[in-house]
Amino acid sequence: MKQIFLIAILAAIAAALPLFLGENPYIIGIMISVLMMAALSSAWNILGGYAGQYSFGHAAYFGAGAYTTMILITLFNLNPLLCMAGGIVVACMIALITGGIVFRLRGHYFALASIAVAEIVRLSVLNFEFTGGAQGILLSDLSLWGLDLNSKNPFYYGMLLVLVVTLAITAHLRKSKTGFYLQAIREDQDAAASLGINLSFYKNRALLISAALTSVLGSLYGLYIRFIDTSAVLDLRLSIEIILTAIIGGVGTLWGPVVGALLLVPLAEVLRSNLLGDALVKAGLVSETSGMGLFLKENLAHAHVLVYGIITVLCILYLPKGILGLFRRVK
Amino acid sequence: MIQHLLHISHVSKHFGGNVAVSDVSFSVDEKQIFGLIGPNGAGKTTLFNCITGFFPATSGEVIFDNKKINALRPDEVCRLGMVRTWQRVKPLGSLTVLENVMIGAFSITGVTREAEAIARENLHSVGLTDYAGKPAGSLPIGLKKKLELARVLATHPKILLLDEICGGLNHTETGIILEIIRGVRQKGATIVFIEHDMKAVTSICDRIVVLNSGEKLAEGTPEEITNNPDVIDAYLGGGHNA
Repeated sequence: MKQIFLIAILAAIAAALPLFLGENPYIIGIMISVLMMAALSSAWNILGGYAGQYSFGHAAYFGAGAYTTMILITLFNLNPLLCMAGGIVVACMIALITGGIVFRLRGHYFALASIAVAEIVRLSVLNFEFTGGAQGILLSDLSLWGLDLNSKNPFYYGMLLVLVVTLAITAHLRKSKTGFYLQAIREDQDAAASLGINLSFYKNRALLISAALTSVLGSLYGLYIRFIDTSAVLDLRLSIEIILTAIIGGVGTLWGPVVGALLLVPLAEVLRSNLLGDALVKAGLVSETSGMGLFLKENLAHAHVLVYGIITVLCILYLPKGILGLFRRVK
Repeated sequence: MIQHLLHISHVSKHFGGNVAVSDVSFSVDEKQIFGLIGPNGAGKTTLFNCITGFFPATSGEVIFDNKKINALRPDEVCRLGMVRTWQRVKPLGSLTVLENVMIGAFSITGVTREAEAIARENLHSVGLTDYAGKPAGSLPIGLKKKLELARVLATHPKILLLDEICGGLNHTETGIILEIIRGVRQKGATIVFIEHDMKAVTSICDRIVVLNSGEKLAEGTPEEITNNPDVIDAYLGGGHNA
């Protein structure tokens, strides 16, 4: 209950933020990215953090939502909510096929299979015609069913809503039979089975919840950006970023993924837009025309994945339970 | 025909060419405390694994509560009322002691509050109440064994299969565990247990089966077993002080 209150309070604060920040599309854009990554990572966390089943292919479910929505809208001009429902169905089908086969096995097969399935989905989408192949899908309409696609605010609130729902589901799960069973599976599968836990049933249940939520985020993302292709929504890099966000924030904790996203997304933005390089130049530490200045300008923007990597290694070495684990230890 | 709670009929388990259990049969009656003894490698744990669905028997039948359970998964076996503990304890390390026992209780209830009540009751019965909030991984071995016991008791089993529940414990601790087991039987459960400590086995068991190299060597009451020349030769005579 305490956690539900905390979620509600933080959600109310997040909902009020755009009113104070005004209509700065750049800032709103970054905040949307933070909310989306927090929600993606939280959805992944249900399966990876609580059930201990590491999926390296969550991009497949994100892409399933994004592609299904964009295709249904461009072909049939369906209501966006119906399109999202369609995306959930497709994502759950992919999840059921993967989980139905692989969850019978123990060990790291699921992690491997999740990469394989995600790559199969990506390559299929890349080569089919109805998916737009390598060109992707562009949504030219600027308004749909009374939704103004030019405005970012609806997407801010959409992402926030999905994040809140995901956190609420997680908070509820933690205190329920299913949540305890998932954690038992993570800790020791033999012990879990001997105590009456149907391993593949509960793993599949976690996967379906996680895939469905991820797919909704993909649908929102497609409508928000109005253009998708495989490198944007089906790439392995996206799957990895989702995992790293959870690991750095704290795997298997309610707030870990949110903390991870709050840290990493702005950090990536700072690196991408070369704010760091500019700051060093402005501070007079590096001359813009010197070799170092040029090097930073050229390379720092592409370095955010590298920085993620370094942070991850440091986390694994010094904060194996993520940033949230640090606070728990202090207590 | 007498109805046995658990009936093992001609069970064999082969791993490739390796015969771990060979044509073993015995029956356990309700409310019995049944001992399964034998030297290391005799096939006791393998037999437990066959009975509880962890690996299927190569041949033979396992009948529990008039139901053939050979092809069932471990979780299905547990929900029928047969639950086992592990020789090498398997605490759910990062969960608390209370949560570990709640996992067991969830097999009979879907309500968290009820599971917690059942868990507290069972923690109390094994004397772990003071440790309820501790991470299970941090307990010393003696308490981990008690935790294993509390966790299976919380599933309200008809029959418990205890795999060396006293292994690694000192005399006082063993005594406490045996007392708990007697109490469990008093409440109507049946117990099969694997044990090395002969004193423990003979003091508590109604009936004993001796395995040797995967085969059944003898069966009988504790007196019959301790006086059986084959058993003394194969097992007790091997330097073991009974």
